[in-house]
Parts: sequence; C-alpha cells; structure tokens
Amino acid sequence: MTPPKHRFQTRTAGTPAQTAAGFEWSTDRRRLRLTGHWTTAALDGISAAAAGSGQTAEPVDVDGSSLTALDTAGALLLYRLIERLKGDGREARLSGFDDRHLALLGLVRERLAAQADSLAALELPRRAAGLERLGRDAWEWVLQGFSMLSFGGETSLAFLRSLLRPARLRWRQILLVVEQDGVRAVPVLGMLSFLLGVVIAYQSGVQLRVYGGNLYVVDLVTITVLRELGPLMTAIVVAGRSGSAYAAQIGTMQVTEEVDALRSIGVSPIDLLVLPKISGLVVALPLLTVFADMAAVAGGMVMSALMLDVSPDTFMRRIPEAVSINSLMTGVAKAPVFAAAIASVGCYHGFKVRGGADSVGRHTTTSVVQAIVMVIVLDAAFSVVYSWMGI
Amino acid sequence: MNRGEILALVGASGSGKSVLLREMILLARPTAGQVRLFGEDAVDLDESTANRLRRRIGIMFQHGALFNSLTALENIAVPMKEQTDLPDAVIRDIAMLKLLLAGLPADAAHKYPRQLSGGMHKRAALARALAMDPDLLVLDEPGTGLDPIGADALDDLILDLHRSLDLTVVMTTHDLDTLWRVSDRVAFLAERRILATATMGELSASDDPAIAAFFQGPRARAARSLTWNRG
Repeated sequence: MTPPKHRFQTRTAGTPAQTAAGFEWSTDRRRLRLTGHWTTAALDGISAAAAGSGQTAEPVDVDGSSLTALDTAGALLLYRLIERLKGDGREARLSGFDDRHLALLGLVRERLAAQADSLAALELPRRAAGLERLGRDAWEWVLQGFSMLSFGGETSLAFLRSLLRPARLRWRQILLVVEQDGVRAVPVLGMLSFLLGVVIAYQSGVQLRVYGGNLYVVDLVTITVLRELGPLMTAIVVAGRSGSAYAAQIGTMQVTEEVDALRSIGVSPIDLLVLPKISGLVVALPLLTVFADMAAVAGGMVMSALMLDVSPDTFMRRIPEAVSINSLMTGVAKAPVFAAAIASVGCYHGFKVRGGADSVGRHTTTSVVQAIVMVIVLDAAFSVVYSWMGI
Repeated sequence: MNRGEILALVGASGSGKSVLLREMILLARPTAGQVRLFGEDAVDLDESTANRLRRRIGIMFQHGALFNSLTALENIAVPMKEQTDLPDAVIRDIAMLKLLLAGLPADAAHKYPRQLSGGMHKRAALARALAMDPDLLVLDEPGTGLDPIGADALDDLILDLHRSLDLTVVMTTHDLDTLWRVSDRVAFLAERRILATATMGELSASDDPAIAAFFQGPRARAARSLTWNRG
C-alpha cells in the first residue's frame, strides 16, 4: 500500500489502554482507512479533521478493517463523514467493516432519517435581548404585583373568616411559630442587639466627649434604639431567619405536591400554612423587639460605663428624662406590620415555586431580599406618618 | 453476571434491591461482602479509580434525576461535557442522536424536565444514561410511574437498545411483565441475601415459599399468560 500522506491521529484521551480514533487518506485520496477506537472517550478532535476530500469526484473506499471499536458517537461521526463526502460529490463505499459496526451505523442512519424533518425545523430557543427583555421583565413585574395583591386579598379574607370563628384558628400551630421564630431567635438577636448598642454608644461617645456632654449618650442610645434601630434590626434578623424558612418550607411542599394534597383533603393551604405563620409572627415580633431594645440599651450602658464614665446607675436615672414611653411604643408599634410583611412575602414566594430544587432556592432568596426591602420601605413610611402626626 | 445479558433484581419492597444497586454503582459502600466491577475488585477504591469505573456505567435513576435547570438536550450533554474534550457542536450532535435513540421526538430537545410527561422524562433519563455509551446500563425501576403503554414501550426500547448497542443491563423492577419480556436472568432478593438467580421460567416454578409467593400470585399468573399469548 502506498504510504499514507495525510495522516490524522488524535491525541490519546480517556484511558491510556484505548487507542485514539483516527483516519488516514491514501495518497491518491481514493481510500480512507479508519483506525483505532471510534468511541466517545477517544474521539477528541476527530470531527475537525473531517477535512477536504480533494478535487476528484470519484468514489471513496472507506476501509473499516482497522477499526477496533465503534460506539454510537463514533457511528454518528462516521455518518457525518460519509454525508460530507457525499456533499463533495463523492460516493462512499464501505468495506471491511465488522457486521456489528455496520448495524450500528444503520441504526444511527435510520434514527436520524426518521426525524429528519423535525430536526431541520428545530431551532435553538431564542433568548430575548435588549428592549424585548426590558419589556418582558417589566410585564413580569406588573403581573407579580397583581398576584401579590391577590395573595394579600385572599389571606386577608381568610383572616377575617377565622376572626368570626376564632375556635377554628390553629392555636397549636401559632404557638409553634411563636416558639420557633420567636423564642429560638432570642440568643442571636440578643447578641446582635447588644453589639449594636455598644457600637452606637461608642460612636456617639467619641463625639460627645469633645463637648463634655457625656451624659447625652443616654439620649442618643435610647432614642435611636427604641424608635428606629431596635425594630429594624429585629425585623431584618427575623426576615433572614424565618421569612426564608417559610418560603423554603412551602416551596418544598409545593414541589412534593403536599400543597395539592391539602387542597384535595379540603384544607385550605392558606388557613393551615399562612395564617398561623402570620399570626404567630405578629405576636412574636413585638416581643422580640422589646427584648432587642433592652439588649441594645444594656450594650450602650456597658460601653458608657467603660468609655464615658457614665455609671449604670446614672444611665438608668437618665433614661426617663431622655425618652418617654411614646418612643418605645412608636418603635414596638411598627413590629406587627413588619411581621405581617415578612411572613406574607415568605409564604407568597413559597407558593410561587414551580418545578424543582432550583426554583425553591431562587424563591427563597427573592423572598428574603423582598422582605428586607419591604421592611425598610415600611420603616420610612412610618417615619413620614409619625412626623405628620407630630409624634 | 455475564457480559451482554439483562439481569433483573427482584424482591419485595425493602429487601435491599436499591441498596445492592447503589453498592454496584459505587455510590454506597457495602458494609460486608465484596463488589467486582468489570473484573476488578471495586471496594475501597481511591476516588480516581472509582470515577474511571463509574464512567463505564450509565445509570437511570428511579425518578429520572434530570437536572431541572437544564433542557433535555443539555442534560444528555452533561456527561460528555464533563468527561470529554469534544467540541460543543459535536456534543450537541451526539446528544441529539441519543435523544432520538431513546425514542424522544426531536422537539423535546429544548424542553425543560418539568415540561416533559412522565414517559418522556424516563426516556430523557435513559438518553443521559446512554450518553457515554456505557458498557453497563443500570436501570432503577424503569417502568415505575408509567402507564402500561408507556411501560411496554420502554421495555421495547430497552430490548432494542440492548440488541443494537450490545449493552449489559442490570435493572430492578416490580413489574412482572417487564420481567417476563426483558430479562435474561432474574436474581431474587429476600432475607437480606440473593435467594436464587435463574431465568424467569425456572424461578416461577420454584417451590421456595418466598419466591413462590412473589411469582405465583394472581398478578404473576396474568403476566405470564399474557407473555405466552404474545408468543
């Protein structure tokens, strides 16, 4: 045989024991000899070498006698190679192939031919871009607004219904929520609030010392904590801790069709899953807020004693002069509203879950982000309302 | 088991089929005994050897276990993308072929798993199991959750692929029709061990009480006569 001129051999891939797939043209380009393992793991690079077949229009002898193995991926490439030769006007004559290899090639040809039309018609899914994407996203937002509104309406109706028949409220579930999302949040919230008080006292102390107004640290700490930071901090911690849990729990139940199972038994998922969470959190969050207020003031007190020589005793005596009960109440009054917002956003996103695990994750993230955004927006709204009312 | 045969694992629920299967495909460590894969001792392998062996096995999980965030075609392409250096266009071409081999219509390619019906889901999972042209195909409850027509079609498909691709197949199943039609040999698990390995004909004639209860109930008789009638 004439020495092969255009020789192509891929580098060895996969296990070393396998010889990589390759092929060789004879010098006159009438003969194409296939070599090695034409298997998925050994095919690397062979497609790029399907190379030109020269200028002649004569038939090609495709010699498969040196082919050591062929799998469906290899058969597909061989099929594409033959198609390519055909496209160049050269007929491929197969010779020396193993019967099983021929059968495999036949199978590939038959399967591709059977669906040739739909394969040709198939196009890649289009990804929206630019203006279209903007429009779609905006529309998506509008729709989400509507569906949140309708979820809120549905929940309110269910709540009113249950107010008429309080015995039907699920008290055990509510207490469970109070325990899990209230009592269990005490340690982490206590620590964070204490540190928050320390930081506020420290930062204001640095300024106050300059003017010798050390005692006013009490005013600064108590007013910022009771009116603003206490409720806000509590709401943010709870949104991260419980709002996400609600979304994940309901979302998983949605995936496993438990929500549908509830509906089919005649239990409204809103009654069973949403109302107890909202009610429980509405009870728990104000309590947590009071606790966070105390922890933060304690933190401020410790820092004042260490840095500003304001003894705890002086600190305590100053508190009634610095703040009125109104400051505490305006802060605590925000908590139930925050609680309702956090719980409904969490539950809403739980019910929005479709499909599988990735959807649960996406909606959990969204629920936390939206809950925190809502809490801050609501807080701003409270500030406006309070200043309007002159509190 | 022998090369090129279809071996079915059967046994009552909880008899350890799935555990045995998981040990075979190196996902779980056996607490006792040994596993031999492709002639190699497959217990206590280091990770790279285990991965090399795993590449020769295609697995179809009971619930499909398709990746939800990927389309059917992308799902099938995953093993090739991870394990070969083939260019993307070639991988897409091969993945499309596997999709067609598994009996899916071409327009299912760009659908997400949640948009596929139960039967199509199974077929897509089968196509992914076939992606690397494995030597050993492992099917965990292939017919579960399918209607009789879908289950029959899947049986045909498995037989068809077994013939044309020269596959060795291990499957677990409860489906007696599948057992009669598809399997070459059946391993019966009970009392935490393999009670018997034989052809369906031999097993159903067995007088062991556990095996007899499984294969000689009313459903078993119906399945058997059905197969005979089909010839």
